[in-house]
Amino acid sequence: MSIQKQMKTLEYDVLVVGAGIAGGESALNLADLGYKVLLLEKELSIGGKMILLSKVFPTLDCAACITTPKVSEIARHPNITIFTGAEPQKILKKGSHRFEAVVLQKPRYVHVADCTGCQLCEEACPVSVTDEYQYGLVGRKAAYIPFSIASPRAAAIDIDNCTLCGACERACPTKCIDFTQTPEEFLVKIKSVVIATGFELFDPLKIPRYGYGKYKNVITSMQMERELAPTRPFNTVLRPGDGKMPDNIAYVLCTGSRDKSVGNPICSQICCMYSIKQAQLLMGALPMADITIYYLHIRAFGKGFNEFYVQAQDMGVEFIKGKVGKITGKENGNLVVRYEDIKAGTVKEAEHDMVVLSVGVLPNQGISGVFENEELQLDPFHFVNQVDLMASPAKTSIEGVFVAGTASGPMDIPDSILSGGAASAETTSYLRKESL
Amino acid sequence: MKKKIGVYICHCGGNISDYVDVEKVRQAVEGDEGVILSKTTMFACADSNQKEMVDDIKDRELDGVVVASCSPKLHLLTFRAVVERAGLNKYNYVHANIREQVSWAHSDNKMGATEKAIQIVKAAIAKVRNTESLEPVIVEATNAVAVIGAGIAGMRAAIELAEAGSQVYLIEREFFVGGRVAQWDDLCLTEETGKELITRLYDQVMSQKKITLFTGAEVIENSGSVGNFNLKVKITPRHFKLRCTEETLQQAIDVCPVEVPDEFNFNITTRKAIYHNYPSEYPQLPAIDMKNCTRCGECEKVCPNIDFSQKTEYLNLKVGSILLATGFDPYEPKKGEFGYGEIDNVVTFPQFKRIVHYCDDKLVYKGKEIKNIAYIYCVGSRQVDGENKYCSRYCCTAIIHTAITVKKKYKGIHNYHFNRGIRTYGKAEVWYDESSRLGDIYLQSFEYDPPVVEKSGTQTIVRIKDMLTIDKEIEVVADLVVLVTGMVPRQDNSIGNLLKVPRGRDNFFNEIHMKLRPVETVIDGITIAGASQGPKNIMESINSGLAAATKSFSLVNSGELALEPTVAKVNLEACEWCGKCDEACPYNAFEKVETGGKFIAKVNSAVCKGCGMCLPVCPTNALDLIGLTDEDVESMIDALIPNI
Repeated sequence: MSIQKQMKTLEYDVLVVGAGIAGGESALNLADLGYKVLLLEKELSIGGKMILLSKVFPTLDCAACITTPKVSEIARHPNITIFTGAEPQKILKKGSHRFEAVVLQKPRYVHVADCTGCQLCEEACPVSVTDEYQYGLVGRKAAYIPFSIASPRAAAIDIDNCTLCGACERACPTKCIDFTQTPEEFLVKIKSVVIATGFELFDPLKIPRYGYGKYKNVITSMQMERELAPTRPFNTVLRPGDGKMPDNIAYVLCTGSRDKSVGNPICSQICCMYSIKQAQLLMGALPMADITIYYLHIRAFGKGFNEFYVQAQDMGVEFIKGKVGKITGKENGNLVVRYEDIKAGTVKEAEHDMVVLSVGVLPNQGISGVFENEELQLDPFHFVNQVDLMASPAKTSIEGVFVAGTASGPMDIPDSILSGGAASAETTSYLRKESL
Repeated sequence: MKKKIGVYICHCGGNISDYVDVEKVRQAVEGDEGVILSKTTMFACADSNQKEMVDDIKDRELDGVVVASCSPKLHLLTFRAVVERAGLNKYNYVHANIREQVSWAHSDNKMGATEKAIQIVKAAIAKVRNTESLEPVIVEATNAVAVIGAGIAGMRAAIELAEAGSQVYLIEREFFVGGRVAQWDDLCLTEETGKELITRLYDQVMSQKKITLFTGAEVIENSGSVGNFNLKVKITPRHFKLRCTEETLQQAIDVCPVEVPDEFNFNITTRKAIYHNYPSEYPQLPAIDMKNCTRCGECEKVCPNIDFSQKTEYLNLKVGSILLATGFDPYEPKKGEFGYGEIDNVVTFPQFKRIVHYCDDKLVYKGKEIKNIAYIYCVGSRQVDGENKYCSRYCCTAIIHTAITVKKKYKGIHNYHFNRGIRTYGKAEVWYDESSRLGDIYLQSFEYDPPVVEKSGTQTIVRIKDMLTIDKEIEVVADLVVLVTGMVPRQDNSIGNLLKVPRGRDNFFNEIHMKLRPVETVIDGITIAGASQGPKNIMESINSGLAAATKSFSLVNSGELALEPTVAKVNLEACEWCGKCDEACPYNAFEKVETGGKFIAKVNSAVCKGCGMCLPVCPTNALDLIGLTDEDVESMIDALIPNI
């Protein structure tokens, strides 16, 4: 292949792919040491999945309170350039400490520097579609600000759903909407690459017997996360079917994890803890609600995690050891959960008015195909392979390419941040070797 | 006196505004003296609001700013940076905590919470009226780091620091490097053994010119502070001049009459007073354990390299940062805990690893061949009655991996896992799956109903009420009972005490913030890595070692550090040196100097942390705190209790 000559060429020391917390941590560390970093984010805002969370275990810190200042620090760092809506198309290794990447930035149809985030375009836009940042719980406009604490907090036009009516353009006081923007390709020359492409959530439609998509009151844990977040859509916890405040909520752990029938034999490492956390938050938000967690094993292994699990038990969360077989809906919107009660040794049924599926962590596989002349190996579970797991966990099969965070496997936030720190350390060493 | 003060009241997305009427707070303070701007904001820390604050400060020419939000531990620095970006000196920013101190503490009383928030904000406004612009204290930082502990986390961090360009002193208390991993033999996830991994890291350590390794070395004194720590290191001699030939060394070992339990093998074997852990142990120089040596001199007769004249040495090191990677201790069961120390075929997990290491084709312990092995999980972890409430994280995966190894290595092994819920998180799940398919038996009970180990005649029996078979009482006759012991903090915390590193609820070293600053401690310049911070597997320890190396490096690499100017100040006229401030100071920041014919106290502003311990003990009121003067405090008190 050949890289076209007419592309705009940019030069940086490091390309960090993915601006979630792991990529952000790596970028910040490298930038603090004086390296020039290009940080790519395919979404419209940096901050990854963490910025969308409610509170985080086991300290119950509000996720936004931790993420937003980091995001702000990243956004204003003089050594970091951020491209949102951008992904690498291909990355070529041209030699030691020499990589070339072709980066495609999708048009936002808004000049970010001029947008004040006033949201007048949102009001004017006549199109309503499902809001992916609220995980489908509510709608948004085709001209929209992704979410209130997004960075950049600027509007974007969802061109796939836009009717080109021009209402937003007319409403915009700073005239920052620009339909003439086109996709832009950049040729980026760098010395090193950090992959921090994160994870995907398991899609519970793959387990039809759990009724997700069929019964409205069966939701995913990420949807519950949104219902509990400070930037929550309903300002309280409601069941989507009829807007009733639930008072008997069930969690189904290991949805899409430890399940060979859906092709994912491993444990996702975070679902037990985030479910326990949500249970505690729900007990605060809905003091009368009963919470039941159906589990196989509780993986409360990190610092302060087991204590957090015991605290949930003491608060009255009911833990039932058993695999859920099937969920069926009733006419009143309630759900009947059929499960194996291991302790009692029988199959039982229980009625709940809302069921949360604790969906697992899956690899975000696209990145390996981007590397063209050297292979970025994946592990048996399709996460980025760590070739020297015990001594240099950030190393990948390509020298000069490092991995941070959940791109290499499931991990929680503290581990992702440590892994981001490790990746930046190894990148620093690698860059130093060039100058020696 | 400030005349253009801006006040921002944060909702914290409901964390505050669910309990505090933030608009009412705003209205209550908008008319305060000097306040020309008051706003409420959803997230004061969000980028969009930060930009708005910068614009406000510039447009309205604000000379003082207050943000009422969360704890200053979280965001004081964030907002100082904001005002600085707007061109205002950052010490003209005052933080009011209305989350931890108000909304979270008084969630049951919204009216009261709102009133308290108003007072706290008014006090902050009173303080900001008096603030003065201050400049940071610039100190030179030594581009050197002391890494304490040469286990995997410490060695890996040392290599990283050296590669990045710092001078590294790697200080190991034992005579040999490698910590716990050297004792661990085969590892999960990779084919490499613990010894091989240690060899690889040791080779890298030795090839780095910037790393100086000290073994048998302990830090015994510490003074100074971030950028310039002065450490005194005590180095215990090995009493060997050079490495002997294998032959003479073996002769020396053979003639040594002393036999003591071998700690490297967790006391399942014995060693001599002259010893090495294993033949290719690093550094490849044996040592004499002088605590147990009887000075009989027999070894000297056969090995010319032994030198009893070597003396304990002391040396002083100057470093900019200290990285603690002091590891963990394996939990030592109490006598009688699951039969430990009373029933002869009950061993701990680390002992079992060493037994497996030494048994080739048959698994034999105390002369008896082992077929049935009972593993009892969570010994010393997740305790109901004891202090260790935490999960030790590595043990489920490690013991299942070991059980598989044992089953494959020896014939006719039956593994029985008496567990409390298996925690093979992440990819380690595959080991659990494999072990189940190999026919290992899993029996489970809850914390409050643990299995019982008993001696019945010559047999050792493990009994459990197994919840997986509806609480059926099941007995297993075990040839060997392995207590799957967890990790505990180092029992000898002398280094933690010396450096005043705080410990958490679990008694491991405590980080400042698990997510924002996971490898830093409240002692500036001291970072923590590996299992010293909490149980971790090898990969996790390495990640934290590398992350800590990055933080330590960023402190020392530029050669200078900007420190807080908010330190104690001595009024030269009022001070009549009495030494009370010096006694009260936890950081040794005072010195006695002569000036103008009298002795007075002088503050070392690089060492002073501005903690204020000296102020109340001064009999002549000669001390004040820059940035928090008596006048500031009095004005805040007046604002807090206006009606008295």
